[in-house]
Amino acid sequence: MKPFQFISATNPGDAVARLTKNPEAAFLGGGTNLLDLMKEHVSLPNEIIDIGNLSLKEIKATATGFHLGALAKNTETANHPLIRKHLPLLSKAILAGASAQIRNMATNGGNLLQRTRCSYFYDISMPCNKRVPGSGCAALEGFNRMHAIFGWSEQCVAVYPSDMAIALSALNATVKVKTSVAERLIPFKDFHLLPGNHPEKDNSLAHGELITGIEIPNNSLAAHSAYVKVRDRNSYAFALVSVAAGLSLNGNLIQSAHLAMGGVAHKPWRALQAEDFLKGKPATIANFTKAAELEMASAKALPNNRFKIEMGRKTLINALQLAFKG
Amino acid sequence: MENSTKSIGKGIDRIDGILKITGKATYATDYPAKNMAYAVLFKSTIAAGQITKIDSTEAEKYPGVIKVITHENAPRLNTKGGLRGGALLQGPEIIFHGQHIGIVVAETFEQATAAAHLIKVEYNQKAEKTNFEKLAETPTMPKGKELADQVRGAGKSAMKTAEVTVEELYETPIEHHHPMEPHATMAMWEGDKLTLYNGSQIINGAQTAAAATLNMKPEQVRIISPFIGGGFGSKGGQWANLVLTAVAAKMVNRPVKLALTRQQMFNSVGLRQRNMQKLSIGATKEGKLVALAHEIISHTAINDEYIEPCGDCTKIMYDVPNSLITYRVVPMNIILPTYTRGPGKSTGSFALESAMDELAYKLKMDPIELRIKNEPPKDPSNGKPWSSRTTVKCLQEGAKAFGWDKRKAEPGTNKIGDDLIGYGVACGTYPARQRDSSAIIKLTLKNKVVHAKVEIAASDLGTGTNTILAQTAADGLGLPVNQITVKLGDSDLPPAAGSVGSVGASSFANAVNDACIKITDELLAKSGKQFFVRPTAAQLMISESFTDFQTRSDSKAPAEAEKYSAHSFNANFAEVRVNSITGMVKVTRFLAVTGAGKILNPKTARSQIIGGNVWGIGMALTEESVIDPRYGNFATRSFADYHVPTNLDIGNLDAMFINEEDLIPNKMGVKGIGEVGIVGVAAAVANAVFNATGKRVRSLPITPDKLL
Repeated sequence: MKPFQFISATNPGDAVARLTKNPEAAFLGGGTNLLDLMKEHVSLPNEIIDIGNLSLKEIKATATGFHLGALAKNTETANHPLIRKHLPLLSKAILAGASAQIRNMATNGGNLLQRTRCSYFYDISMPCNKRVPGSGCAALEGFNRMHAIFGWSEQCVAVYPSDMAIALSALNATVKVKTSVAERLIPFKDFHLLPGNHPEKDNSLAHGELITGIEIPNNSLAAHSAYVKVRDRNSYAFALVSVAAGLSLNGNLIQSAHLAMGGVAHKPWRALQAEDFLKGKPATIANFTKAAELEMASAKALPNNRFKIEMGRKTLINALQLAFKG
Repeated sequence: MENSTKSIGKGIDRIDGILKITGKATYATDYPAKNMAYAVLFKSTIAAGQITKIDSTEAEKYPGVIKVITHENAPRLNTKGGLRGGALLQGPEIIFHGQHIGIVVAETFEQATAAAHLIKVEYNQKAEKTNFEKLAETPTMPKGKELADQVRGAGKSAMKTAEVTVEELYETPIEHHHPMEPHATMAMWEGDKLTLYNGSQIINGAQTAAAATLNMKPEQVRIISPFIGGGFGSKGGQWANLVLTAVAAKMVNRPVKLALTRQQMFNSVGLRQRNMQKLSIGATKEGKLVALAHEIISHTAINDEYIEPCGDCTKIMYDVPNSLITYRVVPMNIILPTYTRGPGKSTGSFALESAMDELAYKLKMDPIELRIKNEPPKDPSNGKPWSSRTTVKCLQEGAKAFGWDKRKAEPGTNKIGDDLIGYGVACGTYPARQRDSSAIIKLTLKNKVVHAKVEIAASDLGTGTNTILAQTAADGLGLPVNQITVKLGDSDLPPAAGSVGSVGASSFANAVNDACIKITDELLAKSGKQFFVRPTAAQLMISESFTDFQTRSDSKAPAEAEKYSAHSFNANFAEVRVNSITGMVKVTRFLAVTGAGKILNPKTARSQIIGGNVWGIGMALTEESVIDPRYGNFATRSFADYHVPTNLDIGNLDAMFINEEDLIPNKMGVKGIGEVGIVGVAAAVANAVFNATGKRVRSLPITPDKLL
């Protein structure tokens, strides 16, 4: 492990100022991913700025929806009465991730920033464009069973590992960010990035910016939502495929469908084609199936993950059915 | 005569349980020492070739660094000293990815780790042999004599005479032991004497291998290993890290600790090799076996051969006049495979017992009935009589307890909501043996209370050896367990077998029992009196006011045992629930019924059996280490990728023991349960998955993608 300075930020402004000053500094939230990355010599910050004492822990209803403090813990968020009642999809997605111990430590902001679990990314003896730009992608022709089927590039085929973010994507959340000069709001669809030619960039945060909270607009999905996660074991495993589904219904008629997929892309994959198809149609198995097929038609498998296309199709249909049943 | 005050057979709590849960049990790196230095290994990033240059200039300048050790400055060691896997820093040759190529010793672990990253290594890379599928097309004969082709009767050609046949290929991946305590060593030198604190399943084995490798005499090396945080075979033979810690301590002239990281565990301390097994069974329409062939291809390392004996169960499980077992091997640039719980039997039984299930399905016969129909009256491999054989009892008692009659014979017909329910059964076996072991018993009388100390260089893997030896001594001496102290895990104690191959309990307990008999005989002689009823050693100490007495006994297996075939047997019952949409499997119920002779402590025995079951379930459903053949590295190199089962994967686990007395293999009738607990488990789960879904998965693990 590389030696580093450790300091505690006193307020968000102080945190941002300190990080801005030092290009090699990093924020420490729950540390559930950063510490692993440091032990593996993947992240080498020379200064750790502990933001654990900042008062960004509130979870509350707002005039337009809900606010999640960036430093509220995942466990607290998932079990919060407001979230359970109004955003059960988010609650279920959080509880499908990691283990109880990790959720107790992990923060909401940190969850959004966790890095891919591609094993080549963690193995510093391997080429990886995300870790060392220009070094190549070992996963492209390697062991890529866990990897992307949507939106990947020749530079990177890694997937984004969060469950919570898949629900947030379906819920049209916004990420609230403090910069050294102002605050800005980043719509969820623009927060995480596809790898393109710059897989080293996971998201659109600039160095020096701090996530202060997540805003979720009011919605009418609570009665009809589901999170289905398919994984290699029943707990404590990253998704092979996951689907967050929410339906806004008028009787049997779908007013709008909210669908996001995990385990399939470098970012939460919003299933827009399926959503478009379902809009205004009756909630039937035939329509769910057609929607899922439309969405999966654009998937492009890697040598080891062809199964994800059929698994994605089935999981989309399953999540839609479960959401409809409520 | 049974006596209610007897301790053996009672499920008493572990005598060291409190020490463990309060953190007072000392594992290899828990020993403090003045002036300790910390060593970190660094490893090759190629799989085959030569190191052309190691530049450690930057590392040596790093704060706190005391020494960088590579093949260029390491002392010459005896590479044939009995350590496994090579990697002793004896030259520039690289034979697998992640081979140790050096050690950094520093004032702190963190400094050593950071400095290790500053070392620059240049290689002359050779084409690596890392693609098993490809290499397996042209395998060679193994060197080991016991792995020569075994033909009985007309061999495989008898398949032609069968009315019903199954011929399938079964595959099992590389698996890792991953004990909770990663391998770790603390080395201290005093003059030319070396003490190694190191989790060792075979105390005397570690001692002789370390001494021979270091060109020392065994008596110059002391191994201390009172507690082991699991081993599963990986701490049976010892690996380079043991001796390299001693080398580092010598070179810096300080005590040194060296602990492997979890990632380093993947290529430092062996693994269960990948196996391709072709299993052919031929039977009559009535289900009588006429031919059985088991053809196995495995890999080994470039520098040494270890092949787990996948054909061992096949050799003895069923009454079949014609059979063939063959082993072929592929040397690869990979760390040496090694003993891994139920070596060969766990993986081999997956093939055999899956194929038996396939045959039963083809015959439209209950798989239990098929097995009972082919029960061998004597050991088919050598014609010896069984000392006892409990397969049928295990199957029958298990079927009753498990509710086997509720199984639907037709796959895919038992459905609750989206879930498919299935039942599976599979048998297993493991040899029962006793190995040479010695024990000392020391009795003292103080304030009219007798206290006994049992000394034996046995090891306790975490399975309860301390406890069963206290129970054995308690009964042998006529004392309560709390007046017994067991001292083990130290090579200064009387030599003993290891906790390997299911010989631990039988070898250690018989040694202690023999010592109890001997000490009682000697006390009787010393008393010079005659008694109508033989008194216990404790009674004699008190009645004769002896204050101190001790004896040593050297025990061997009874000569008679050789004339018999002695084994533990089991039957495993699995109930699975498979989500028909996602393909995710949950083992909702698992029952292992085991016939293993005398069960010394039903509580620790049950824990050991269900522990084996859990690994077997992991083998069936989740565990797989994947090599990227382009580099020879593990693409699964953390617990995020290497999945051991979690609580949510498994529902109720239960273990039952057949009440049997088999005094042929050893005087106490103890057969051993460590290995057999995993044998047959994966097949039972796979057979249950077939019963649930109608899908036969012949390549482990059964991950959701295979059931789509």
